[in-house]
Amino acid sequence: MPTETFTNEAIDIEKLPKYEEIQLIQPHSDYWKIICINLLTVLGLAAIGAAILIIFIDEIRPNALLIIGIYFVMAVLLFLLFRASFKKRGYAIRTKDVIYKSGIIAESTTIVPLNRIQHIELNEGLLSRIYKLGSLQIFTAGGQSGHLHIAGIPINEAKSIRDLLLNKLELIEKPTTEIEQ
Amino acid sequence: MNSDFSKPQRQSAFGIIVMAAHTAFKIGRAFAFLIVIAFVKSQGNYLLYILLALALMLLVSFLFAYLWYIKFTFFLDKEKQEFVVNKGIFNRDQVTIQLDKIQQVNINQSILQKIIGVYGLKIDTAGAHSEEVDIKAIDETSAYNLKEHLLNRKALATDDLETAEQHSSTAEIPLLKISSWTLLKVGLTSNYGQSVALLVAFFYTIIYEGRQLIDAFQIDKDEIQTTVTGMLTILTVAILVAALLITLLIINLVRTFYKYFELEISEHKHSLLLSSGLIAKKNTLVSPKKVQITKYSQNYFQKKLNMLNLSLKQAHFGQSKKGHEMHGSTLEIPGCNPTERDDLLKMILGKIPEQGKTFIPDWRFLNLPIFFKLVLPVAVFLVLAFNAPEVKPFIGLAFAYFIIGVLMIYISYRRHRISVNRDFIIKQSGIWDISKEIVSPVKIQAITTFQYPWHKSVDVGHLCLHTAAGQIHFKYGNYTEIKQLVNYWLYQVESVNEDWM
Repeated sequence: MPTETFTNEAIDIEKLPKYEEIQLIQPHSDYWKIICINLLTVLGLAAIGAAILIIFIDEIRPNALLIIGIYFVMAVLLFLLFRASFKKRGYAIRTKDVIYKSGIIAESTTIVPLNRIQHIELNEGLLSRIYKLGSLQIFTAGGQSGHLHIAGIPINEAKSIRDLLLNKLELIEKPTTEIEQ
Repeated sequence: MNSDFSKPQRQSAFGIIVMAAHTAFKIGRAFAFLIVIAFVKSQGNYLLYILLALALMLLVSFLFAYLWYIKFTFFLDKEKQEFVVNKGIFNRDQVTIQLDKIQQVNINQSILQKIIGVYGLKIDTAGAHSEEVDIKAIDETSAYNLKEHLLNRKALATDDLETAEQHSSTAEIPLLKISSWTLLKVGLTSNYGQSVALLVAFFYTIIYEGRQLIDAFQIDKDEIQTTVTGMLTILTVAILVAALLITLLIINLVRTFYKYFELEISEHKHSLLLSSGLIAKKNTLVSPKKVQITKYSQNYFQKKLNMLNLSLKQAHFGQSKKGHEMHGSTLEIPGCNPTERDDLLKMILGKIPEQGKTFIPDWRFLNLPIFFKLVLPVAVFLVLAFNAPEVKPFIGLAFAYFIIGVLMIYISYRRHRISVNRDFIIKQSGIWDISKEIVSPVKIQAITTFQYPWHKSVDVGHLCLHTAAGQIHFKYGNYTEIKQLVNYWLYQVESVNEDWM
């Protein structure tokens, strides 16, 4: 129980480190290019589908202008939303926890204490490899919702973060096993 | 069977019968309606074939069960502290369970097992589904011996000092016993939702299978329809509704009795032993340390009867990578009175949680639910009603819906609150059943806070605590206060290296 390590009232909550004031690191600007390429691929496929429909089905042809209009509005909206979400992303590694901020409309911040991390995964996609980026996944016992997916970190940095976290995990686990035995 | 378990061994040979029955039952259930239809449609001389098919089915079941029995061995590796099970008829599977990962050991007895005189033993781990072990036939002494071995090891390996100090007695004195009278009260006042779901599922299968039967018997459908519509007068509808309600209550009662008959909780070394069940007795061993969320709930009737339902949520998640969603395994203890609740809470949490500083949500809590659940549907309905004369008489209903809805959302708003002190976080919520979820800050796995941009100026935000047994939300709180709380909890979690399980 934490009772022995601190006596409550003595702690001034105001003086505790504030997670909300930490300077967050933005994803690498190349990651925006990856998002754009992905979006363009999806939009391109959609455009091909729409074109086939317009060319081959006579009933749809009169509405072609409408469809093209909707398509462009959707495309612009998608780009704006992804841009907004890209701008909002940020991560920070503190000595005792990992912070990740994200969100399209709402701004959500998730904090995972290092001593609650179950395992870490480093993923590199095809596009990410071209731009030398990677994404880190941090899993906790809190299920799907309590897991962090930080994308767009330069690969060298991602590797060093992973090693740093793994080191810390080992450091955390060692003393406890010693106490147990 | 020896009591050492260090050498690979098979289960009791009676396991063949249990497994064969299990398999036959499974096959039988899959083909039940086919068999019935076959009986009805076929003339007498096909009867022989049907009986032959049944015999074949039994034979296959027994063959399957025998192979399964031969291949199923288990032993306890004392050096590595592992329990190893070899199984698989065609493919070779080896399941290895580290003893300190074992969460529960359940000893059950179904009717068939009772007749033969064997027990079933299940090992529940904090791991993926496939890792669970199910021994189908084992005699009583071996079962309890094995259980002791499995759980004793664990107690030695990760000794919980605290519980050792407080509860040095190892004798089995029931902490709590639920009488049949209490169960009756529980059955009448709780879990309506589940019974309704059961009833709906039941009627659905009846109607679905009934249709197939009608087709098979070649009964005239129109005739049935005219009789049914002829029966539908107001009186019969009223009787039908009353009958449905009574059936619902009866189902509720039966379910409660079936599950919780003679529920007994006793302290057993470092853990709680729960045993209950009418036909099949179920024993469950829980280590208090592994309980992540303790929850109790009470509704208006239960308050008058001075009782409440307690449930313990345990961690149950996939240790392995993605794909394994977390599954909470919950233990329910219905019908305890407040003193019993306090005893149990003391046992599980170490002390009775006190109310700490209470935080209540902002009135904006009401906006979204009222808009999406009330204003929008009612508006759509009204537009529809003014265009379609058939719907017009029901406009009154829409207003009733609106008023009841507002009331319910308002009640849920008033109940929604979180209370925080040094050792516990207590979240209260609910409309009819008011529940309190108690979680200790060390059980927090991750924390999420979020805010909509339009709430920035009024300083309103949301909080979500992720634990291994589910999430706890607090919505529309004062964001400055929430941030302070988060910093405080992070400090609590990170400043000590306490095990959460």
